[in-house]
Amino acid sequence: MVNTRKQRRQSRHSRGAGSALAIRAWARRHVYSFFSSLGALVRSPLGTLMTVVVLGIALALPLGLWVGLKNIQQVNPATEDFSSISVFLNSGTDTAAATQLAAAIQSWPEVDKITSLSPAEALTDFRENSGFAAAVDALSENPLPWVLEIQLLEAAVGSAAESKLQFKQQLDKLLSRLQELPGVEFAQYDLKWLERLHALMSLGESIGRLLALLFGFAVIFVVGNTIRLDIHNRKEEIEVMSLVGATEAFIRRPFLYTGFWYGLFGGMVAVILVSIALALIRSPLDRLLLSYQSEFELITPGFSGGLLVLLTGGVLGLLGAALAVRRHLQNLNPT
Amino acid sequence: MIRFERVSKRYPGSVMALSDVSFHLDAGEMAFLTGHSGAGKSTLLKLIALLERPSGGQVFLDGRNLAKVSRRQLPVLRRKVGVIFQDHKLLSDKTVFDNVALPLIIAGVRYQEIQKRVSAALDQVDLLRKIKTMPLALSGGEQQRVGIARAIISHPPVLLADEPTGNLDPDLSADLMTLFSRLNELGTTVLIASHDIALIQQLNRRVLVLEHGGMSRSG
Repeated sequence: MVNTRKQRRQSRHSRGAGSALAIRAWARRHVYSFFSSLGALVRSPLGTLMTVVVLGIALALPLGLWVGLKNIQQVNPATEDFSSISVFLNSGTDTAAATQLAAAIQSWPEVDKITSLSPAEALTDFRENSGFAAAVDALSENPLPWVLEIQLLEAAVGSAAESKLQFKQQLDKLLSRLQELPGVEFAQYDLKWLERLHALMSLGESIGRLLALLFGFAVIFVVGNTIRLDIHNRKEEIEVMSLVGATEAFIRRPFLYTGFWYGLFGGMVAVILVSIALALIRSPLDRLLLSYQSEFELITPGFSGGLLVLLTGGVLGLLGAALAVRRHLQNLNPT
Repeated sequence: MIRFERVSKRYPGSVMALSDVSFHLDAGEMAFLTGHSGAGKSTLLKLIALLERPSGGQVFLDGRNLAKVSRRQLPVLRRKVGVIFQDHKLLSDKTVFDNVALPLIIAGVRYQEIQKRVSAALDQVDLLRKIKTMPLALSGGEQQRVGIARAIISHPPVLLADEPTGNLDPDLSADLMTLFSRLNELGTTVLIASHDIALIQQLNRRVLVLEHGGMSRSG
């Protein structure tokens, strides 16, 4: 009884030592696959580069769109001035009519202050700040209308602390009254274009998500196809490895690693491409935004975003490789 | 160590490669397998090395019925058999070192250990100075010896050789047979397929003869 228990313990002990050895051997095989797959990529630099660049471009498109959207989203409605309305007058309105209209509106209780901007002033302003000086100079006549910038009294329209809906209704009522005035082409408050911008942005987000999905599939299939060719080219090696006793997992592993590397490096290229693009648009963008006196910090993918793209690429590459391996690495052994 | 019981093998769409073959090879025995080309020598070796499955009958290796080995167990069992292939089966894009090291890499052996054993194996086949060469830069005979080094590196209990002296000059053939005999003395079961009658007679070992897929002499 005692004897058998002792034997059992001994056998369990030796099994424990055996499994530790097995784990170490397993780790060594992994390290080998890890480096041999990298080595294989380095040995054919041109082919690797081409695949990686294709993957990089495929990943750069959704990434670029995402970064663009993030940047537009920081135009935050809360920091914008709601309580101002722009009234555009009919073209051809003369100074006297404009002044008269401005005076009339000034008498309304909701109005705090009116700034009139003549077509000439508007054009000069635009010419200096927009960066389209040459285009403006090419115009034969001034296309801009008179604009009345109306600053509203917050107390009169209701403060923003009140329900958003009420505030908006008040604004809309005021807007329609302004619009009915003779000589007014149209009136709008800043909220309108923000609303449109937000609608556009959510559309952009949907498109972005769709694109990310599509290009994600593209990455999977590009890697899958590359690995398929790789498997085909290395038939001899696969056969020999199988002959000398390699398990199917061991034969599969370098291909899976290769797929992962492709995706990872593709992600790296995508991050580099988007960073270059951002660097290129930075100075013209700064000039444009300066003209709006806007406080705007260009958002870049950053370290964590970049890492996420790399990992996403890696996982997609792994998936592609797994698909190819499943499909093309069967029947290594006679059944 | 190796036992065939009424084994037959038919490849799809062709005649019987082997029919009703029975023989038994003890552990530590060394024997030759001879016969005309196309008599089924290679097929017989492939059945032992688990590279093919028989169409009928049973093959036993080290007491295990190979018909009952699952696909998962196949690779591990295959490592017990070192095979020297007629066409060498070397990897042309890997150095001699990497080729010979392959079975050890697959087994997950430590790198220092691999280095030591590859050097030792290459020394045994007198190719140590070619350790960093690519196989295609070697002569046919040298490639053959790289294949031998790979087959013996993991000290398998069974060694199979398919026409190992086919590309070698008589001196090298004699050296090779000395090597096989030495490995056999150390306990390895050796089966060599060859039609080099002169060489076989010199060694005076057991000879198995295949004729048209059947075994005509097994003593």
